[in-house]
Amino acid sequence: MSSQVGQQIRGAGKKPILSYHNVMKRFGNFTALNGVSLDIYSGEVVCFIGPSGSGKSTMLRGTNALDPFDEGQVFLDGSPLPTSENEARHLRRRMGMVFQNFELFPHRTALENVMIGPVTVLGTSKDQAAKAALKLLDKVGLADKTQNYPANLSGGQQQRVAIARALAMEPELLLFDEPTSALDPETIGEVLNVMKTLADEGRTMIVVTHEMNFAKRVADWVVVFERGQVVEQGPPEQIFDDPHTERTRNFLSHLGWHG
Amino acid sequence: MELDFSPIFESWRFLANGLLVTVQLAILCCIASLALGILGGIGRVYGGRVLKGTITFYVDTMRSIPVLVVIVWIYFALPLVSGYNLPPFWSAFLAITIHVAAYVIEITRAGIESIRPGQVRAAQALGMSHRQILREVVLPQALIRVLPSIGSIVSVTIKDTAIASVIAVPEYMKQSETLAAQSFHPIEVFTFAMFVYFCILFPTTRLIDRLYRRLAHLGQS
Repeated sequence: MSSQVGQQIRGAGKKPILSYHNVMKRFGNFTALNGVSLDIYSGEVVCFIGPSGSGKSTMLRGTNALDPFDEGQVFLDGSPLPTSENEARHLRRRMGMVFQNFELFPHRTALENVMIGPVTVLGTSKDQAAKAALKLLDKVGLADKTQNYPANLSGGQQQRVAIARALAMEPELLLFDEPTSALDPETIGEVLNVMKTLADEGRTMIVVTHEMNFAKRVADWVVVFERGQVVEQGPPEQIFDDPHTERTRNFLSHLGWHG
Repeated sequence: MELDFSPIFESWRFLANGLLVTVQLAILCCIASLALGILGGIGRVYGGRVLKGTITFYVDTMRSIPVLVVIVWIYFALPLVSGYNLPPFWSAFLAITIHVAAYVIEITRAGIESIRPGQVRAAQALGMSHRQILREVVLPQALIRVLPSIGSIVSVTIKDTAIASVIAVPEYMKQSETLAAQSFHPIEVFTFAMFVYFCILFPTTRLIDRLYRRLAHLGQS
């Protein structure tokens, strides 16, 4: 399969930062992930695409052990993902996560939302955390909204605060779970632009998304999921311009994509 | 009919002492029942099966017994059962506190359970422990959300202190009864008592209401 060939060129002598081997996840009778194997390399932007319920978000929640996989193995930097809650907590510090519904803490200002991770989890001093938080809010274009509570921010602004909150932990890896799906169309762009900036900095990002233009423009690697399996993976040019499988073609044409 | 309020003025010191006891009892009961109730509410949600069952039984029991019966039982029956004699003030404190705490437990539980699971997941994703998530994320939002219910509980607690008069705690109601009997002016004395309780409770409930309106947006996620 040519996606395999692509992967060899892509991997070229490097060890993957994340490596999934035959991962399974069930919810009752429903099989959410049915044997997924996948490598992700440092500095890559990897987009997970596919129909709703195909297992993309389940992959993310398994990766930072919010909802651990049932079977299979995952290696982060060569060591297997922890199984105990205590170790999982340490694992999560290494991965920032951005949610579809932002999940900012409503009783904290934008600045405090960004500070809360370092102050509570890492024991950073408030002064130091506030300085770092200011820089991050500036980076996402919200230097003038630091004292706003989430209720007084638009969806796009809330999501940018959420990105700054994830960055505050200085994670090795960023996980985005449909970050623009709950946004008004006019604010999607501002969030995608921030994500593009992060990608350009060479951060490792896994992005579950329905924004095909973003995936095509920004991703280094695209993985197509369907019914808990990977149906195709490859560079964006392959997936969007020359899909190798019927199922990828079907999915894209359902979205009205005619690359 | 001639109304004569002079006994109230002549015995103002006697009534003021009663008011002081009422205020002390009310403040102590509010603090203790809120603390006990919030802890119990946390245990009710996060505890193991035994703890959860015990707390549920406690809540159901307390909700099924009038506070008057609890006070009388603690003052008259508890010494016979346990051999310990609690003074009237502390009997009333104990009875009102354990009674009101049961309601606070239910309110706290409802508040905690109303927090969206996504909030907990976001806190977990930052690497917070269960304890940190409860302290930093869940409890502050939960308590803001249930502030109106806490407000009614506080006013009920203040009012319930009047029941302490049945075991002769010298609080405002007891002092009023004594004065009414001695002065033969029950209409004036008890009307004035209504006025005094109103003057304590009305501002308290308004204050909590205003506090909630100011904080409400902080509990919406």
